[in-house]
Amino acid sequence: MTTPLTLHTDRHADSRPLLTAHGEIDMTNVESFRAALTAAVAEGGPVVVDLTGVVYLDSGAINALFAHAEDLHLICSPLLLPALRICGLTELATIETPGTGA
Amino acid sequence: MSSGAEGGAHVNEAAGVASATSVFAADEEIGQDLAAVDWAATPIGEPSEWPQSLRTAVSILLSSRFSMWMAWGDGLTFFCNAAYRRDTLGQKYPWALGRPASEVWEEIWEDIGPRIDRVLATGTATWDQGLLLFLERSGYPEETYHTFSYSPLRDDLGAVVGMLCVVTEETDRVVGERRMATLRDLGSNPSVARTEQEMLEFTASQLDHNRWDLPFTLTYLFDDDSGARLAATTGIAAGHPAAQLHLTAAQSPGAWPTTAPSEGESVLVDLDAATWGALPTGAWQQQPTQALLVPLQQQGAAPVGFMVAALSRYRPLDEGYRGFIDLVAGHVATGILSARSYQAQQRRAEELAALDRAKTTFFSNISHEFRTPLTLITGPVQELRTRLADAEPSVREELEVIHRNGLRLGRLVNSLLDFSRIEAGRMTARYEPVDLAAVTTELASVFRSAIQRAGLAFEVDCPTLPELVYLDRSMWEKVMLNLLSNALKFTFDGSITVRLGVEDNHAVLTVTDTGVGIAETEMPRLFERFHRVERSRSRSREGSGIGLALVKELVGLHGGTITATSTEKQGTSFTIRLRFGHAHLPAQAVVEDPTTTATSASAEPFVQEALRWLPADATADPAQTGANEDDLSSLERARAATGGGRDLPAYVLIADDNADMREYLTRLLRGVGHQVQAVADGQAALEAIRVHVPELVVSDVMMPRLDGLGLVAALRADGRTATVPVLLLSARAGQESSIQGFDAGADDYLVKPFSAAELLARVRAIIELARLRARHSRWRTALIDSLQEGFFVCDADGSVVEINTTFTEILGYGPEELPYRTPSPWWPDPEIDPHAYERVGQAFTRLVEDDSGEADLPLVHHDGHQVWARFTFSRVEDPATGNHVIVGTLRDVTAEHYTLQRDTALAALAERLAAADTVSSAVQAAVTELRRTWSAQRVVLAAFPETATGRASEPDLVAGSDHVQWHQLAPDLRERLLAVSQAPLLVPQTDQPGRVGVTAAYPGGVLVVWIELGGRRPVGAEDRALLSLLADRLGQGLHRVREIDQQREAAVALQHAILGPAHLPAGFAVRYQPAMRPLQVGGDWYDTVPLPHDRLGIVVGDCVGHGLDAATVMGQLRSACRALLLEHSHPARALAGLDRFAALLPGAECTTVFCAVLDPASGELVYSSAGHLPPILVLAEGTTTSLDGGRGIPLGLRLDRPRVQDSMTIPARATLLLYTDGLVERRRRALDEGIARASCAVHDGRTHPVEELASHVMTTLTPTGGYEDDVALLLYRQPGPLDVTFNAAPSELAPVRHALRNWLTRCDLDAQYVNDMLLAVGEACVNAVEHGHRGHPGGVVQLHAIALPDQVCVRVVDSGSWKAPDAEATARAHRGRGIALMRGLMHQVTIAPTESGTTVEMYVRIPT
Repeated sequence: MTTPLTLHTDRHADSRPLLTAHGEIDMTNVESFRAALTAAVAEGGPVVVDLTGVVYLDSGAINALFAHAEDLHLICSPLLLPALRICGLTELATIETPGTGA
Repeated sequence: MSSGAEGGAHVNEAAGVASATSVFAADEEIGQDLAAVDWAATPIGEPSEWPQSLRTAVSILLSSRFSMWMAWGDGLTFFCNAAYRRDTLGQKYPWALGRPASEVWEEIWEDIGPRIDRVLATGTATWDQGLLLFLERSGYPEETYHTFSYSPLRDDLGAVVGMLCVVTEETDRVVGERRMATLRDLGSNPSVARTEQEMLEFTASQLDHNRWDLPFTLTYLFDDDSGARLAATTGIAAGHPAAQLHLTAAQSPGAWPTTAPSEGESVLVDLDAATWGALPTGAWQQQPTQALLVPLQQQGAAPVGFMVAALSRYRPLDEGYRGFIDLVAGHVATGILSARSYQAQQRRAEELAALDRAKTTFFSNISHEFRTPLTLITGPVQELRTRLADAEPSVREELEVIHRNGLRLGRLVNSLLDFSRIEAGRMTARYEPVDLAAVTTELASVFRSAIQRAGLAFEVDCPTLPELVYLDRSMWEKVMLNLLSNALKFTFDGSITVRLGVEDNHAVLTVTDTGVGIAETEMPRLFERFHRVERSRSRSREGSGIGLALVKELVGLHGGTITATSTEKQGTSFTIRLRFGHAHLPAQAVVEDPTTTATSASAEPFVQEALRWLPADATADPAQTGANEDDLSSLERARAATGGGRDLPAYVLIADDNADMREYLTRLLRGVGHQVQAVADGQAALEAIRVHVPELVVSDVMMPRLDGLGLVAALRADGRTATVPVLLLSARAGQESSIQGFDAGADDYLVKPFSAAELLARVRAIIELARLRARHSRWRTALIDSLQEGFFVCDADGSVVEINTTFTEILGYGPEELPYRTPSPWWPDPEIDPHAYERVGQAFTRLVEDDSGEADLPLVHHDGHQVWARFTFSRVEDPATGNHVIVGTLRDVTAEHYTLQRDTALAALAERLAAADTVSSAVQAAVTELRRTWSAQRVVLAAFPETATGRASEPDLVAGSDHVQWHQLAPDLRERLLAVSQAPLLVPQTDQPGRVGVTAAYPGGVLVVWIELGGRRPVGAEDRALLSLLADRLGQGLHRVREIDQQREAAVALQHAILGPAHLPAGFAVRYQPAMRPLQVGGDWYDTVPLPHDRLGIVVGDCVGHGLDAATVMGQLRSACRALLLEHSHPARALAGLDRFAALLPGAECTTVFCAVLDPASGELVYSSAGHLPPILVLAEGTTTSLDGGRGIPLGLRLDRPRVQDSMTIPARATLLLYTDGLVERRRRALDEGIARASCAVHDGRTHPVEELASHVMTTLTPTGGYEDDVALLLYRQPGPLDVTFNAAPSELAPVRHALRNWLTRCDLDAQYVNDMLLAVGEACVNAVEHGHRGHPGGVVQLHAIALPDQVCVRVVDSGSWKAPDAEATARAHRGRGIALMRGLMHQVTIAPTESGTTVEMYVRIPT
């Protein structure tokens, strides 16, 4: 059984590619997340990844983010922030948590 | 300076020789080389430009035969002459010429530079005397000494510009002085060296001072077996391979050759390193290369040894060196020989002294050896003469011959003995003031009849002298009697005159005869010992030649002189001069009290002998001679004096080693009616006396084992025999012997030979006196012996000196062995019974130190059995001596002791068994008690069960004083125990000393009691009896304990069976503790019941009453409550139903119950209480409350009264405690107090998991002595732990996460904690799944999470390995990040990989 995850690719208001994820990301579905992320980055330029709807993401998912970290603008729940900071992703990617801005 | 130079690098061959010729002409050879120097390159330039002063200096230098060099100019340019080149410069020539002096003598510039500077600066000369230099002028570095004088050199203007050094070699002087010093020291002090060893040590210490010429030396002395032993060394350590202790004649490498030295030849030995290795270097840096072996010569014989002298490698072995070593060897040889000869003399002197001592001893011994047989001849002969007075003449004549010769022999022996005494300096004189006229007249009168019978006139002219003369009377007697008998012997006509007078403050005695006289040639040897003066005629040819010699010695002892004048055929006159007073005599030998003894018996032999010289008809009838008549009748007179000698029979003990003498004395004494026992020596006498104290002891002085003096001393030292009279018989005449005898404590002293009459008279006198004295002490002895208690007297140091018969009966030791010194033989053996020994020792200390006291002591009877004796003692003063003695009594209390011991042991064992509540504790208690009773070293109890096939070979219970397991016991002990287990009941087995085993009845088998007393302490009959008794009681006691134990075990088993659920739901912990002693089984219980809709019923109750009845009621109530809860899930209704049930069940009334239904998911709790104590709730942050709602009365009392219930929600991480009153109720304490204590215990321990918390609460609340009532306790923490087991498959991850998120929500955690926990646990699960997937398809993963008030802990266990294959680098990076995440998010993470899987534990702390 695959963990529930919905991925949506769009354009952000400022025309950057926007990838919106909902649900949980673990080893059962990380490959689709990675594929979506790669596709979004392929469109060129910085990609906005909206993870506000993601309640769980494991280190596999963080690895996927690392692959393109410099090109990512992440929007996520503050609850996920400690994990991203521990892995060092905050050093490379732009991370925005709702309410606190970029 | 020994270093070589690089010859002539600077020499310029092309230098102008012509200009130099004049300057260097003084020495052709050196001059040539100087001319060859490239002077232009030196600071002083070409010789042609040299100032006159330099030229002059060089010229002087070269022309001098003294060794010298010079330095010139600022650069101190070097010049030297031929002598210097030869003696000093060596190979540096000619390189050195023209060089700076500092370069030429670079190696010593530090030393000479400053001196030269000083010369240059001050212009004054200086020098170095006797400087040691090693010169290689002869092909080896040579030790040389030089004196250097440094003088300034001035230029034409008088300024100092250079320096001249004149060198004088002083090697011969320095080395010579050094060697002389050694030789002088060697000869310095041989007087202290008496022995060979002392001499060698002295020599070595002197040689050691010269390690320059003698780096090391070894002195070997030849043995008898042609080998040599090392006698002394210098400069070489003992044990060095070159310092072999023994050398044999066989030559071997690394050993010194002995053959040549033994033949008197010196040998030079090369000390090559290959053979000899490292050798001591002496005063030098390098080891010697040669050693000279020189023989230690002695005149006219082979050498006594040889000396190895290691040679200095820095000096040639020239004549001087060799001569020095020869002289050293000569000194050593002389020393050894003189020491040896000194010792030989010493030995000879000692041998002579020993010979002299032996001679003296021989003479002394002769006295004894001769005197005893003499006594046995003359004594019986004396008696025979009396008895055979009427026998036929021929018999009497023969008897007279025997008698006279006996006397004569005695006199000779005495004379010899006197000489030996005088020689040994042991002649003890006793000078007393005497009236010399009276004494002389009396002695003369003894000879009067014999002289008159010979037809001679006898004139005695002895007027009383104005002063007293100090004489030793016995000696004086000998002097007089010898002179008189001598006069009679050689006088045939005329007279013998004794005349006394005064002359120059001396008493002068002359004995003059008109006899044959003495030839003038014989006069000088008249007083010579063993010299018999040849005379023309004498009355007898007999004579030993010692008479006059003895007279001279005796007179000399008096400080007097004796002279003789004689004219052949006219007569002889002896004149004795004695000083008046005693100033000339040794003060210690002078006494002022004169003895009253009359002329002693020693006169008789002289007279008897003299009479024999007279014509036969004159002596035909000895009975007619006055002197003889007196003597012969002496026995008669003695008998008359003793009233026939048969009126006072006494018990007399005779001690003499001579059997004849024993028989003779026995016959004599029996003859007058005494009871006689005779023994052969002093020791035997002592033993006999201790058995039966005699009224008199007659003892010889000289005896084997214990002599007469020793016997007297021993008798006097012993209180029981101190008053026994002793008559000593001695062969030793002379006062010093009798004084010794009296000093020792003898009552009388008789010298052999003695007459029978004299002996009997003395015996009678002694016995009469002693009887008077003894009456009192016999009474005392009789009194003491009649005592019913043992009686003893100790002296101040505790030795037992007197005992009575009861004492002997109690301990078996009689008076024969008295005194008994400490430790007495009745003390326990410290080896066998150290405990008893110590006890007796302590009592003894008190005996000696305290004034009085009492003690019960374990003593050992003579036959070995133990005796318990009660001692009482007190200290008293001995009126006789004023010393303290200890008087005591003792009583045998063995029977009392064992009775008391038995009663005490039985009571103590009974008490201990009563206190035991299990068989094993009873057995352990018995071990302790048995050990105490016997003070045993070890006690082992082993219970061997009876099995279907007989008795087991291994016990099912072992208890011992040293806490052992059966298999830890020594194999032989196990064997013994097994053997004893086969023995009949209660029969002690004592196969080994100090060890005893016995069997006792034991439930289901047999109990072996094994006791090791320690040491070889014997196991007595009393011990065996007591052991049987105790074993019997132990068996009975164990049986009783076993019955009680079984009952209790049954009740507890039952209660456990009906108590609670076998498996508790998660989150619960329970405790049930049956009450301890006295045995009670309460009616407490707890219960959890799974109910529909995932809810749980929880019950805690307490029935009234004790024991099995209460337990039965409880079991039924519990079952009923379960059923009711399952039916209603409603606590109030359940309790109402239980009310009705309880009403029907006898004993169920008044039961209190708390009943609740819990929803574990929400923590909601609905509850009702039937009079039960309110549960306690402790929140995570520590707030404590109790559940006071839903209260009702206990069960079965009012069936119509409705039950109510209440509800509440248990907050997350709060802890709920349900309990029964046993936990909190204490006698005489308020219940509230107990509840508060319980609340407090839960509060304090709340951060523990519930299982640990339960233990904590039980322990904390345990009263001293344990819980008195049953305790049931139930703990619950909300939420219970999460336990999930899932297949190691990725698809399981999301549901597990879901379950974990739910559980964490119930833990009431902050969202961030929930998220972090999920992520960290998620990473652990991913790893577990990956491993499980890879390593063990179908493996499972276990997730366990528990919530504590202040933290949440999670454990993930998988069955795989976290070790990643190297190929999967990506995966590793992934996992690395996962682990980093776990560690970053959790407070602690531990990962423990094992063979079978990996366990990850992590926790996060929660603020409360």
